[in-house]
Amino acid sequence: MHGGAERDVMAVMPVACMPQTNRQTAAACRRAAGCLAMLALLGACEGRQAVLNPAGQDAAVIARLFLGMLTGAVILWLLVAGLFLYVTVFRVSHMPRRWAESLIVGGGVLFPTFVLAGLLSYSLPLMSSQRTGGDGLVVHVRGEQWWWRVTYETPQGNRAVSANEVRLPAGRRTEFRLTADKVIHSFWIPALGGKTDMIPGRETVMTLEPAETGLFRGQCAEFCGASHALMAFEVETMAPDLFDEWLRHAASDAVPPATEAARRGAGIFAAEGCGACHTVRGTPALGRVGPDLTHVGSRHSIGAALLPVTAADLALWVGRTGHLKPDVEMPQYDHLLPDALLDLGRYLEGLK
Amino acid sequence: MTDPARSHDATSPRPDEDRQAFAEASESLWRITFGPALWALHFAGSYGVAAIWCAKVAAKGQDIAPLRLGFAVVTLAVLAAIGWLGWRSWRQWDYLGDRDYENAGANHEDRHQFLGHAAFLLSIVSFVGVVYTGLPVVFVQACR
Ligand code: HEC
Ligand SMILES: [Cu+2]
Repeated sequence: MHGGAERDVMAVMPVACMPQTNRQTAAACRRAAGCLAMLALLGACEGRQAVLNPAGQDAAVIARLFLGMLTGAVILWLLVAGLFLYVTVFRVSHMPRRWAESLIVGGGVLFPTFVLAGLLSYSLPLMSSQRTGGDGLVVHVRGEQWWWRVTYETPQGNRAVSANEVRLPAGRRTEFRLTADKVIHSFWIPALGGKTDMIPGRETVMTLEPAETGLFRGQCAEFCGASHALMAFEVETMAPDLFDEWLRHAASDAVPPATEAARRGAGIFAAEGCGACHTVRGTPALGRVGPDLTHVGSRHSIGAALLPVTAADLALWVGRTGHLKPDVEMPQYDHLLPDALLDLGRYLEGLK
Repeated sequence: MTDPARSHDATSPRPDEDRQAFAEASESLWRITFGPALWALHFAGSYGVAAIWCAKVAAKGQDIAPLRLGFAVVTLAVLAAIGWLGWRSWRQWDYLGDRDYENAGANHEDRHQFLGHAAFLLSIVSFVGVVYTGLPVVFVQACR
């Protein structure tokens, strides 16, 4: 899966649903949307945002726990349903009072008490493994409405600011320090581990140890407002040496625009005051309201995993921001002409 | 029947005996709340003390051995107390004495045994609740 099933659904739905002239088409449309949603769900079982497809130590523990619990639940259900069938269908007869009482006390009180105690004793120790310390790298993530402010901090104290994307060295345990701006969010990369709430005014800590390299997807898992569903992020796990190289690049200043169109775009960026909200390190743009754009062109997505990073999509984002993302805290620049938007897009795309 | 206090009306209440039975019933009515109350105190206390200890005493990630030890001792004490309450109410129910689990009559004996029965069941629930509250302390080794 390359683009992410959700994105495909979003791309298809408006087209399929446009000619709603009568009830049948509306119903057909709902059915189609339902099918697409089902497909997306099914796809999720093997995709890059799947709990049951673990790619990290912590997620593997959780998947094993879930499968164990599921197996146990199925066995118990079969036992109870079987017993029920047995006494109501196959052997309907009077049961002595003592038997009935032992069944209730044994099967209804003692058995669940011991099973639950056993499960608790098995699952509680798993929590401490998810809370072991990291190997040195600390990633600070702040939940904003509706995007992620990401700061990498190395043991040497070097910092690199990014957004809407998390890169991690595979085979190393990274510590996350999570907080939030105004409302509670929840940081979750299902393929790598459990979720942790991000709470305004507090710092919650978790660690993750990816086992393999790859591209995964994270998602805000605590309803946080109009665009909660559009608050996702890309996760790339990399070989440690590639990661270190990438981190050095992420800490560097922006590259100057290379083409004529990009230079025009940089001019528009300055003239429209984008720098009041966005930082492009190495330029006068130092705003801190929105995501750092210094290396936006080398990210996997924009708008918190909403669109790919092409000049056209960047132009679309700047020109139709509010249409793409309800209640977004960035003004929509629909007064800019298509050419100007595209120049802006070229400039941003070039910020590798 | 020559007892002058009784002779004038056999069905009228007998004040002394009645008062005593009432006092006893109201005492065991209180007693059925002790199990759940201990459970509630243990639960709220565990959370409160753990939160304060972790925020004020133990630096993050540090060993919390004294806290865990204290918890273990208190938990065992609470379990013992609930066990004792359960044993008392089991006696009061007197199930093995008369094999009677229906105590629905409007008389002192049924009331007495019913309250014992109820207290017995409640102590079982409270006991299990305290065990489950105590388990995390055994298994969680740090403040986070
Ligand atoms: C009022 C502050 C503000 C201004 C002005 C502003 N933006 Fe934004 N911008 C934001 C916020 C907030 C976001 C994050 C929105 C979200 O995803 O929810 C954002 C997101 C973006 C993104 C996506 C970044 C990513 O990594 O997802 C791009 C690209 C962008 N803005 C470009 C621009 C350009 C170009 C201009 C000027 C034409 C501009 N912005 C003006 C606040 C602003
Ligand atoms: Cu959210």
